[in-house]
Parts: sequence; structure tokens; C-alpha cells
Amino acid sequence: MSLNKFTSDIIQDSLISIGEAMFETIQRTSMSPIIYEALDYAVGITDGEGRLLAQGNGVITFLAAMSLVVEETLKRFGDNNPLKEGDVIIANTPYLGGGTHLSDIAIITPIFYKKERVAFTVNKAHWTDIGGTNPGSVSTVSTEIYQEGIHFPFIKVREEGKINDAVLKMLEANVRLPKSTSGDLFSGIAANDVGAERIIKLIDKYGLKAYKQAAKEFMEYGERISLKELQKIPNGTYENTGYIENDGFGNGPFPIKLKIIIKDNEMVCDFTGTHKQLKGPLNLSRTGLETAVRAAFKSITTPTLPANNGSFKHVKLICPENTVVSANSPAPISVYYEVFLAAIDLLLKTLGPIVPEKLPAGHFRSVCVTYISGLHPVTNEFYVQAEPLSGGWGANAFNDGNRGQFSYSHGESYNIPAETRERKYGVMVEEYCFHNEGGGYGEFQGGNGQYLVFKVLSKEAFLTGAFLGYSIPTWGLNEGYDGSYNYFTVIRTDGSEEKYNVVTNIKLNKGDRVKLVTATGGGYGNPDKRPIKKIKKDIKNGYITEEQALNNYKHFSNEVIKS
Amino acid sequence: MRIATDIGGTFTDLVYFNYNNKNKELTNVKVSKSSTTPNEFEKGILNAIEKIGLDLSTIEFFAHGTTVVINAITERKGSKTALFTTKGFRDVLEIARGTRPDLYNFNFKKEAPFVERYLRQEVDERINYLGEVISPLNSDNVDSLLNYFVSEGVESIAICLIHAYKNPIHEKQLGALIKKKYPNIEVITSHEVTREWREYERTSSTVLSAYVKPITTKYLNNLTHNLQKLGYKNNLYIMQSNGGITTVEDVKANPITLIESGPASGVLGAVVLGRTIEKKNLIVLDIGGTTAKCSLIENGTPKIVTTYNIEKTKTKAGFPILTPVIDIVEIGNGGGSIAWLDDGGKMRVGPKSAGAIPGPSSYGKGGQNFTTTDANVVCNRIHRNYFLGGELTPDFNNIERAAKSLCNELNMSLAEMARGVIRVANSNMVNALKSVSVNKGYDPRDFSLIVIGGGGPMHGAYLANDLQIPEVIVPLNAGVFSAFGMLMSDLRRDYIRTDVMDLIADNFSRLNGVFKEMKDEAIEAYERDLYQKDNIIFEYHLDLRYDGQEHSVKLKLTDLNNLQIDVIERDFHQLHQKRYAFSLSDTKIEIVNYHLVAEVIVNKPIIVKVESKRSSIDDALITYEDVDFDESGIHNSKFYDRDKLEPGMVEQGPAIIVEQSTSTVVPPSHQFTIDDYANIIITKIEQK
Repeated sequence: MSLNKFTSDIIQDSLISIGEAMFETIQRTSMSPIIYEALDYAVGITDGEGRLLAQGNGVITFLAAMSLVVEETLKRFGDNNPLKEGDVIIANTPYLGGGTHLSDIAIITPIFYKKERVAFTVNKAHWTDIGGTNPGSVSTVSTEIYQEGIHFPFIKVREEGKINDAVLKMLEANVRLPKSTSGDLFSGIAANDVGAERIIKLIDKYGLKAYKQAAKEFMEYGERISLKELQKIPNGTYENTGYIENDGFGNGPFPIKLKIIIKDNEMVCDFTGTHKQLKGPLNLSRTGLETAVRAAFKSITTPTLPANNGSFKHVKLICPENTVVSANSPAPISVYYEVFLAAIDLLLKTLGPIVPEKLPAGHFRSVCVTYISGLHPVTNEFYVQAEPLSGGWGANAFNDGNRGQFSYSHGESYNIPAETRERKYGVMVEEYCFHNEGGGYGEFQGGNGQYLVFKVLSKEAFLTGAFLGYSIPTWGLNEGYDGSYNYFTVIRTDGSEEKYNVVTNIKLNKGDRVKLVTATGGGYGNPDKRPIKKIKKDIKNGYITEEQALNNYKHFSNEVIKS
Repeated sequence: MRIATDIGGTFTDLVYFNYNNKNKELTNVKVSKSSTTPNEFEKGILNAIEKIGLDLSTIEFFAHGTTVVINAITERKGSKTALFTTKGFRDVLEIARGTRPDLYNFNFKKEAPFVERYLRQEVDERINYLGEVISPLNSDNVDSLLNYFVSEGVESIAICLIHAYKNPIHEKQLGALIKKKYPNIEVITSHEVTREWREYERTSSTVLSAYVKPITTKYLNNLTHNLQKLGYKNNLYIMQSNGGITTVEDVKANPITLIESGPASGVLGAVVLGRTIEKKNLIVLDIGGTTAKCSLIENGTPKIVTTYNIEKTKTKAGFPILTPVIDIVEIGNGGGSIAWLDDGGKMRVGPKSAGAIPGPSSYGKGGQNFTTTDANVVCNRIHRNYFLGGELTPDFNNIERAAKSLCNELNMSLAEMARGVIRVANSNMVNALKSVSVNKGYDPRDFSLIVIGGGGPMHGAYLANDLQIPEVIVPLNAGVFSAFGMLMSDLRRDYIRTDVMDLIADNFSRLNGVFKEMKDEAIEAYERDLYQKDNIIFEYHLDLRYDGQEHSVKLKLTDLNNLQIDVIERDFHQLHQKRYAFSLSDTKIEIVNYHLVAEVIVNKPIIVKVESKRSSIDDALITYEDVDFDESGIHNSKFYDRDKLEPGMVEQGPAIIVEQSTSTVVPPSHQFTIDDYANIIITKIEQK
């Protein structure tokens, strides 16, 4: 083997490091809290044909998006309307090309080296508001995509280096936070430019031939390892059903059907039989489902290695059109993330018993996003507070479940500190702590869910949220017990309490409290095997009550009775 | 005479400097080494003093860099700590930020917090973001909680209340109450550690400072006591992470400031050297056995960051610490880093290291793994007769054994594989160097590269080439560089405060008010240590951002008396453009944090030029031998003895310069010059 091998390795590592620089640029300069705190974005570098070379991602939801959105760009800009140096494309089409919902904006920059298109830098980020009926552009009662915001169907926002002012003006005129939205646009364009400059320098240094060779080898590398790992998983056919509890209009539950077939050289995920697309916005596009399938495959084959197209060569998705996980226009789709999580949860629940050392019991299975909008009580400025919430995770074969951690669809996400939140949105946080609503008992105990309680200080405000998992608890694994439920309540100033799960625009008045509750994760293993010492420690720490321990850990209650 | 001590993982170095009292010129530098004594670090220092029979009554200045804080944290050997929080916020420490950097690993395990839940307790009080008291401190339950903590064996208590960065009154009240009731328990409040917002980060910082407070106090008390017993009469100074020294009392109040005490002094050494040889823009690279650290110095000043994260990796969230730290990027890539092939057959070097025991395979002490050092031996960039200062001959048989599986799997000869290892190691370091330079908007062509540590001089020229850095500096006495930096540093205290407001001229009086409060605090602190107010030099920084952004960039204000809004705005736009490739000229700017630096300049020696004995460079020549320079080919190269090279000498590569602790590689098409201070300067010979 020649020393060129090392050149390829070095080029690949350099591309990953370029991806990191792009990622940091967006985090440090964006203006949507959901980008800079929740890191609800991803950046990627593809080759000239859209094959993923490197990815820096904060969340799982955009895993497949980077390459798919470039592939779609290439389809749309053919020979009669070619991409040119200095062009930047903007796209948020949900139904194809790695789309999710309109709030997630992809920015795509083709890179040319001596007139030849050699790469793309691309990023996709969740902007706080993109227009539509509701602040935050998410509604649980929309019935068509037209209600969910402005749609950019792969258009040039920059042409040969010149910003398209018409697009910019259209954008600013159609969103509620024009300044921060255009700030996010420039942040995304800058990140791609930062990447582009470095890639050109990289090619200058090693030559175009070596660069292309490195890209090719990188794909082969991803393919080789994932296949090797796939072959360690026993062949077979595994079936399961999951549910979307509500379509936003109180109808449901709706089944998601899954059959996983594992063969020597392929994992097939077949969603045939799944319910048709819903009236409300709890729909996922096929391209979003592709990400769920790839993420599940990656978690059991190559969780630690950088993602590229090669690593997904041996996973195949089968799904008929127009289902709740393969919705098409004009289906509303703004709450896609709950369906995405339901799909990935179902995939992991089906795979868990096959690879019990790699996957945990069920986690709280909801992004638990709330949108609160109103006028700031001190500055009188309009605000939209959009945030996901952390919750309880399932226990696994080695450890108790994690407490206070964001859902599967996240990753490097950060909560909003009470101290910055209170200044920015004028609410007051009263509780941010674990609860012990019970569940998750097992040899390894599921992680506690949590409360976030805050008081509204604006004269009035509006609350929108979609917490699935309110009627079906988190699931236990290998004899571990189920966990608890997600829900939220509004506590009025007179002390009355209203319970919600999927709802849009509840009016809140000054002094009302909002209490958000995330579920405790499922337990793992038979509770009889949990050491008494651990149970006592949990009681001391208040993770479970003594009463819960007595009722659910037989050997513990026997011991207490004896003494 | 002045002394600096630096405690490393293996050795405790004591360096003493003699200088001429009249002209302050350094006359000689001597080193005493002893083994580090992990459980009682002060013993190692005392052993080093005893070893050379030093009379401490003649010492006027004693500076000390210590790893006691970082060791206590990484080894979880701090004290049992309890935490008081505002009611409702008991679990902030454990929820942390909810992050999971290991994206596709659903069996991810979150790190356990430093205080267990039963020792995290709440007090009823509330202050809002404007600093207004919403409910006063109710201390009714404090007594019984304190009794509970004591019965549980708690030795240290952290207090972190919501919005205390803005108004610390409740923290002060609660702190005083505890101290009164239990004077023997260490107490630390969040506003004493930092006055930046974000409750998790502040809680984490306060808890970690409380966690190491008893151990640090005990250690410093013992050390002070023992030094006094040996006759030392002056102040003992401690090196902080911010690149300045401070007094023992100051450190004991908030020991977390020592978190990066050691590495900071290496960077300080580079600053001092740069000042001496009039190079103001430097990138410092320190390659040790396990890691490589790099840092950037612009215009003679190292970059200080106020958020540090311990144990953060690509797959772990780590623990944030809000304390001023010299911005250092560290990667697991040193001389002992092990080469391996991942599942896909890709060559990787590090982060696993062969360490000092058993060490690289070339040591022949049982090391089974092929390391970067071994690759340099194979390429003959380290000469076999001068390996480890000539104390050891490389074990070539063992190298071949260690390399065998790699060579077989790659189907390569040993020489080819060794070149590959060096290439991959260099690439790792280039990426780290880029992260402190290019990624932050700096052009490496405007900098010199200073290489220190055992591995720095071996790789420097290649890295500089890659980054187009015009010259590499291999300093004299690179081995005592950290101690050197310590002796040359000044007293420094940093004060940071969050107080968000618009950057407008109308707010200038508020701005001055905030700085004045911080200055008063600084003056009071220095006066407590008996320093004069007039000797304090102040520096003013603002952390600024565009309205709507979350993160900020640090801008230095030149003069507080003559603030000009258009100048500050222009400077900020330029800085943002440089750092992030764009600016938003019509967007409102916000001040987030105020950062005051208060320094007191201490009396320091001056580095003097080395005199040439006018000998010939041929006198320094040891031998001619083949050296493998990878892509530039194998060349018969000159080997020089560094101790015999003198100022003014110039020679072309290929050459290897040998000294006790390292080996400098001068590749073909490069030349080296010995400057007036006996530093080696390597530059590229321009092709005509």
C-alpha cells in the first residue's frame, strides 16, 4: 500500500475539522436561541455530487438531511440553470431533500475549484419564527402547510456573490422577528463561506486528485465498517407497532407499523401498514423518516464514527407514500418532531431485545417543546420563547437511566438557563428539578423526569405545546417496569389547574403558572435484582419515595418488615 | 535570588535564578529535580530544596505553580461538599445543560455531579434579573440543614443563588450565617467565584472551588509553614490560570483559579521570550509525552477566556468552570501517543499514550506499542546516542516487534509506516494549531511558532510549513520554560461581571460605575495584601454582541476617560468580521460582561544576550548520518551539539541539533540561525 493512504486519512480529518469550524461559526453568531442553545442545526460538507464527506451536528434530526438536500439542489439546477461560483441556495421544503418542517432552513453553497464543482458546504438550522398563523410557526391545529410559514423551494438567495435583495425583503416582510431572522441567514451563509475557503486551501495543498481519492476512500471506509458491525447482529425478522396518540384534533391513536429484516448484508426497515397521513401537523415526511432509520442503524453499527454516505449503504427504507411517516403536500407538518421521535423510538424498541448491550429501555419520547409568545413585561418587546425540555431516560444493561437529558432526536443541545431566560422573556422560573411521579423500577432504575414551572409576568401570553407520551408510558426492557408520562398544566391565579398535552394558543394571564412535566424513563431488568443498598440510596436522595420502594421492590419491603 | 517551582506528573522542578542586583541581569539559572510526591506535593518541593542545600533566608521571591487543584478534581479526591441553592433549583447541578455530545450512543452515561442530591438543599429566597429582592432570605431551615450536613461529614459548603451575580446580598447573608455557626467548615459563595450569569455554570464553578478548598488550604498552609521553617521570610506567590501570580491568601479564598496553573506558566514563558527578542505575535506549541498544547499570543498578550471546561471531550459534556484561564487548546498527541488502526483500517495516533511507564517501544522497558517517538527514532530524527539525553540506547528489536502488526496490516515497510505515523501526528497538531489561529480569524503568516517540550522542536518545522508560519523558534532552556514564565510574571487579578445593557453613549456613566465598583474591589483586595493602590495598573474589556445573539466577543477599551461610541462600535464590527467573517453594521450592540484586569508589576530580572566565543560551527558537529525526511527524501545530514552552537551561526539543513532534553529537526530547504540569546531560529530557504 502506498503512503498516499495517509494523505487520504489526513484530508478526511481536515474536512472534519473544517466542519467543526463551520459549526462553531453558527453557534457563536446566530440569533435564534433554539440554534445557539439547543444547537438545533447541523453543518455538512459533501463532494461535488452531494455525497456526505463530513458532518458537524448538534442534533440527530438532520443526519440524512445534509446529503439529501444537496442531491435535491443538483436535481433542480440542471444544465439549463446551472449553479455558479458565488451562488447560495436556500430551501425549507419539508417533503423531500432532507426536509423536516418549514422552520428548518437549509443553506447550500456550491464550491468551485478552477471552474470545476468540487464540493458543497451546507447547513440547516431551526429559525425561531418563519411566519404563518402562529408565533414560532408551529401549531398543533394547522391543516395545510400554507398555515405554517413562508416556503423557499430551493432558490438562490445569493447569485454569483450578490445577495438577492428581493428574497431578503420577502423574508423580512413575512416573519415576526425580521432582524434576528436575517441575522440567522447571514450566520448560515458565513459558516458556508468559512468552510468553502478552507476546502479550497485544502485542495490547493494536496491537489484535486488526492482530494477526490480521499473522498472515495472515505465512503468505502464507512461502508466497510458498518457492514462488519451489521454482520455481528443476528439475522431475523422483527415486528412491532408504535402509536401517535393524537392528530392535534383529539383523534387517535394512530398506528405506526414496523418490520425490521436483518440479513447478512442489509437491514431493511419496512413501515408498510402504517396509518395514512393525518389531518393535523403530526406528520413526518419520508425524507425525515430516512434520518430516523439511518440514526437507528448508526446507533447499533458505528455510533462513534463520523457519518458519511457509505455508512448507510446497507440500510434500506420501505414505506408507502402518504402515511403519517411519509406525508406529502399539502399535509401540515410543523410538529413533525414528535412523529420523528415516535419512529426512532419504535425502531429502537424493536432492535433493543436483539442488541440489549447497545440500547436502553424507553426514554420520555417527546421533544416536549413549548412556544410561549407575548410582550416582555419590562421592555414591551415581542418575544417567542421556543424550547425543548429534558426528561428521564431508560435504564440499560449496565447503568440506571440518565436524569435531565434531552430526547433521542437531540444530542449536543443545551437548556436555556433560568437567568438568561428571565431577562429575555420576562417570565420567572419557580421550579426546575426532578420529580418522583414513580415508575421505571428495575435492576437498573429509569431516570427521573422533571418539572419546569414558571410564572408569566406579561399582561398576557399564549402557550402552544405538543407532548406525546401522555397516555402511553415509557417502556421497560427485560422485565424492567414502565416509567411515567409527559404532560403540562396551567395553574391559574385562583389555584385552578388545567391539564394539557397537544394544544395551541392557550391564553395565559399575568400571574398564571405553567408547569411542564417530562416522564421518568423505563427500567431495565427484574426489580428483584436491584441491590438493597442502591434502593436505600435512591430513597435518601429522594429519587424514589419510601412508599414507592415498598410497593415495587419486594425484597426491600420484606427486609423492612423483618427489621 | 529568585525561585520558581513547577510540579509535574513525574518530576518536581525547582529552578533558581541568580541575578545582578544592580543592573538586574540574569547571571545563572540552575535546576534541582526531585520525584513528585502525589499525596503530599509539598514534600517534593522540600526534597528539591534539600537536595541542593539551599538557604531560603537568601531568597527574595518564591513562586509556585501547582497541580493540586486539577489533580483533586480529576482523581475525585476533593472534600465532601454540600450545596445551598435557591428554592426550586436543587437539581440544576445534576440536570446541567441536558446535553449529550455522543449523539448516536443511546447508552450514553451522564457524568455524576460532584454533590449528591441529598447534600443539595434549598433555601427560600428570590432575587430577579434586575437584582431586586422578590422574597427575602428566610433562614429558618438553615440550622437543621447545617446539622444534617455536619452529621453527614461535610467539610465544605458551596452557595449558589439565582441572580447572585447581579445582587449577592442573600449569598453574603447566608455565608456569614454559616461561618458564624460552623467556623471550621469551608464556605464559598458563587459571587466570590464569578459574577457571570448562567446558573448551572456558576453553580458548577462554585461547587468545584468548594470541593478543592480544604485540600488546597491544607496544602498551602503546610507549604508556607515549611518554607518559613527553612528561613523564607517573604510572600509565597502562586501561579494562577490567568497568567498572573497572586498571594496565598487570595488563592485560598477561591482555589479554582489554579485549575490550569501549570500550562499557563509555559505560555507566560513565551510571552517573556517574545518581549526579549521583540516578537509580539507568537503561537506556542508545547509537545509533551501525552499531549500537545497550543496557545496564541497577539501583540504580546495571551488570550484569556472566562469559561473553561474540565473533562470535556467529543463524547463527554465535562464540567464548566467560570474562571479566567489562558486560552489553551490541548489534544492527546504527544511523543508517547500510540499509533493504531481503527476498525476501518484508518491510521490514528493518540489519544492513548504509552506514558512514562512502560513508555514508547524504543525505551525497551516493556512498551508493546509503536509511538510517535518511535517513529522519530526510526527516521533517525532522534539520534540513538543522544536518546533521552544519552541515558538510554533505543531498543531497535523492540521497536520492530511493536511495529510488526501495523506494518503487516498496512502492507508497508517499517520506514514507510513510521513516516505515516509522523504525518498523521503532524496533521493532528496542525488542526489544533488552526483552532487557535485560522479558526479565530488569525493569519498564521503574521506569527512565529515557539516550540517547547520534548517533542516540539522535532515537529516544529513541518507544522510551520503546513501553516505557512515564516519562522520557528526553539528557545534556550526550553526545559525550564514554565518556571521561567512564573518568575517573570506579575500579580494579576481578574474581575468579571454580567450587567447587560445597550452600547450607547447614554450608558457610559453606568459603564464607568460598574468598572469603578470592580476597581474598588480590586484595590481593597490588593491593599489587604499590602500593595499600594498607586501601583495597580488597570485594563478594561467589554464582552459585546449584536442584539439577539447569545455569545459575545471580547473588546479591549483603550481608555476609560475618553470613551467614543463610534470608535467602540467600529472596533466591534471589525472584530466580529475578523472572527466570524461577517458584521451587521446596522444592528444594535449590547454589552454583556465587564472584565477588569488589575495588575501589579513586580521587580523582575532581565534576560541577557549570550556571548559568542567565536568558535567555528564545525566544532559543534558530532557526526554525519542518513535521516529520513519523508517527502523530501533521505539525506546524509549533519548532527550538531546545541551546547556548542553560538550566536551568529547560520547553517543550511538538512540537520539535526541535539541537546539534553530534545532534538531539533531542520529539514532540507530550511536553515537555522542562532540568535543573540542562543535561541534556534528555523526559516525556509525561498526557492529562486
